[in-house]
Amino acid sequence: MTRSPNLRRYLDHPFWQALGLLVLAYLVIVYGVPLLPGSSLVPSSVVLQYMVTVLVGVLIYVSDNDERWALFKQPLVAMLVEQRLRLVRILVLAVVTLLVGWVTFGQVRTTVAAPPNLRSIHPAPPAEVTFRGKTMTLTGLENPLRQQPESLAAFTAYGKEIYYQNCLPCHGDHLDGLGHFAAGFNPLPANFQDNGTIAQLTESFVFWRVAKGGPGLPREGTPWNSAMPRWEDFLTERQIWAVILFLYDQTGWKPRTWEKAEGGAK
Amino acid sequence: MRVGLIGALAVFLSVSPTVRLSAQDTTAGKTVYVKWCAGCHGETGDGKGVAALYMLPRPRDFTGAVYKIRTTASGQLPTDADLMRAIDEGLPGTAMPAWQTRLSDGERRNVMAYLKTFSSFFSDTSQHPQLLKFSSEPGGGTGAEALRVGRQFYDSIHCYKCHGPQGRGDGPSAPDLKDDPGQPILAADLHENWRFRGGATAEDIYRQLRTGLDGTPMPSFSDLLDQKFLTEEQLWRVAQYVRSLSPPKAPEVRDVIHARQIAGTLPVSPDDSAWSRVDDYYFPLVGQIIRKPRWFAPAVAAIWVQALHNGNAIAVRLTWDDRSQSPDTGWNKYTRRLLQTMASDDSGPQTLAPWPDQLAVQFPPKIPEGMERPYFLMGSNSGSVYQWRWRSAPRGAVAGLARGIDRFDTLPPASGPAARAVWDHGQWRVVFTRTLATADTANELQFAVGRAIPVAFFAWDGSSAERDTRMALSTWYFLALDQPTPPGTFISPVIAMVVTLGLGMLVVVRAQRRDGRRAAARG
Repeated sequence: MTRSPNLRRYLDHPFWQALGLLVLAYLVIVYGVPLLPGSSLVPSSVVLQYMVTVLVGVLIYVSDNDERWALFKQPLVAMLVEQRLRLVRILVLAVVTLLVGWVTFGQVRTTVAAPPNLRSIHPAPPAEVTFRGKTMTLTGLENPLRQQPESLAAFTAYGKEIYYQNCLPCHGDHLDGLGHFAAGFNPLPANFQDNGTIAQLTESFVFWRVAKGGPGLPREGTPWNSAMPRWEDFLTERQIWAVILFLYDQTGWKPRTWEKAEGGAK
Repeated sequence: MRVGLIGALAVFLSVSPTVRLSAQDTTAGKTVYVKWCAGCHGETGDGKGVAALYMLPRPRDFTGAVYKIRTTASGQLPTDADLMRAIDEGLPGTAMPAWQTRLSDGERRNVMAYLKTFSSFFSDTSQHPQLLKFSSEPGGGTGAEALRVGRQFYDSIHCYKCHGPQGRGDGPSAPDLKDDPGQPILAADLHENWRFRGGATAEDIYRQLRTGLDGTPMPSFSDLLDQKFLTEEQLWRVAQYVRSLSPPKAPEVRDVIHARQIAGTLPVSPDDSAWSRVDDYYFPLVGQIIRKPRWFAPAVAAIWVQALHNGNAIAVRLTWDDRSQSPDTGWNKYTRRLLQTMASDDSGPQTLAPWPDQLAVQFPPKIPEGMERPYFLMGSNSGSVYQWRWRSAPRGAVAGLARGIDRFDTLPPASGPAARAVWDHGQWRVVFTRTLATADTANELQFAVGRAIPVAFFAWDGSSAERDTRMALSTWYFLALDQPTPPGTFISPVIAMVVTLGLGMLVVVRAQRRDGRRAAARG
């Protein structure tokens, strides 16, 4: 493959280099970064930030040397003055003007948006709850099934069965909150694989959330939106403790304990 | 076992040369299987895991080695690549998720090797899956002529018998369909290609037409090619026609339904041509599994919503696919089969009744000032919701207040809403109209422009035994009645444009003057 002299002229020219660099940076940020393992789409405000940084860098580079700077300016000046580029000149002026108009219109136009859904993800639990008429003190409460280490495997297996028959449609096969019913809910069902849910919580907190569900949330937890059922109506105390055992066992998280308020280690 | 694998692997490699081959460890595969798959597919691979009764379609029974999604001829084993595709990408429209991002390459390959051990067919060396040769897609597939040919053969190879004349899965045979194990199965709604098990593209559809979906009533049409009943190209046209029934891209959920303001009368008929120019909003619905009795097999998968207002009244059109105009005794066989198949919180036998189709549109009784709303699932004792409820029989709509899922008090019919509905080949289209303001300001929502009004949807299909708490639901979204853009809004963009253009021209003039001076100096 031989480069045509024409193409070469463009590749060596600082203006076209700068333009090429900007396009390349845009493509990398918008299309390249999401392909990296563990990353996602870059929000447009961040894209803008990155692009401004790249632009500043490019400008510093081209203006660093007088000769390069003069060369860089050439196509711009040519666009402004040369008779043969008249059409390009008019086009650039028109496009810039329309763009400014459109952006301004977008800023001043009022449209109704969904109100922000401010909610406390882990609201403070009550000190005690009533479970099927029985008062339970949550503070300091441990999973009673853990006191029988010899039966732990059996309890966990029991919890798995309960999970698959009740929790799976929303919280999913992978416990990541993406079950086959998850798309119908806003907020999405909790993702237990994430280090921000059960990894941060004591088992008594999880018990409270499972037992009382969405309707049992305090106001700051936006109880009107949560589709989490009140499992007290479906499951016994023992069944809930078993399903909690399964959640930690399947994801590999360790519950936060009352002695050392840490946890969150895999 | 090994010897058998080699045959299959040779095929595997020829299909998918990019998949690197490493030692497939069925022992490691078993560990993965027991941890992540057995809950649905069962420890013994029979598809009878503890969750099986709570989902439809049911999990695959690996012991039978009958697979729907293949690249091999009807009645044959799938290739390893076919199995990997189902594991990696999941089966859309079912409970089977895509495992590609959830398990490592090695884990997925091992689990694939392990699930083949559930059936002796895979280790039988005399079995060589015969790969079908697929021609490449002929061009022009979205053109009018291609679609006409596709439609012609859609009818002549009898697709309509199950999938219906409009492709919504409502054909004359649809209520009688069952899969090989005898479970109820629905003909696919061809307007929702993002729910097709084997993929959404024309190529995927063509492949399904050639291979058939083994274990289901969907046959292979390869023999019609052999019999020269139609050509490869004509079968491709069928696939392209089916593809054309769904939108070009899978719909995305948007939070706010915008009701444009129009002048004059609102379109009250569901088939008024004015609706074709109104933005259509898509909302997925899921089963009600929050209050007893729960329902794990919701019939209505999604609802499309359009809205308009004229400053005095609002019209909302709701469109959803429903294979039956319930009650319809023609569907009783399906209803009975469904009730026998699904797990239920009720004990005792379920008796059939002529349940109607129903739809509810839910608002708070007042537009909330803050973000607090009534409980999305039909309100509660402490906070009621205002609902429009429509039913197919006796046909009509009422407004009322719900205070929880089991309490609905009808309001006097004086202030509406009015509703008009059509059922058209597997689809309901219902238009509700109501004045923005009503006399009963305490109980009935007073619509106001420029506000985010919470809205939620509920749907019941009578022929799927849906009634009361057995339904499909959504959580809260929003409805906004837009105002025409006030002329004042255009002032600042125009000023900005004039200034920009002025500055731009100034720059050009100055540059040209300077250039002229320089040229003169040189000359």
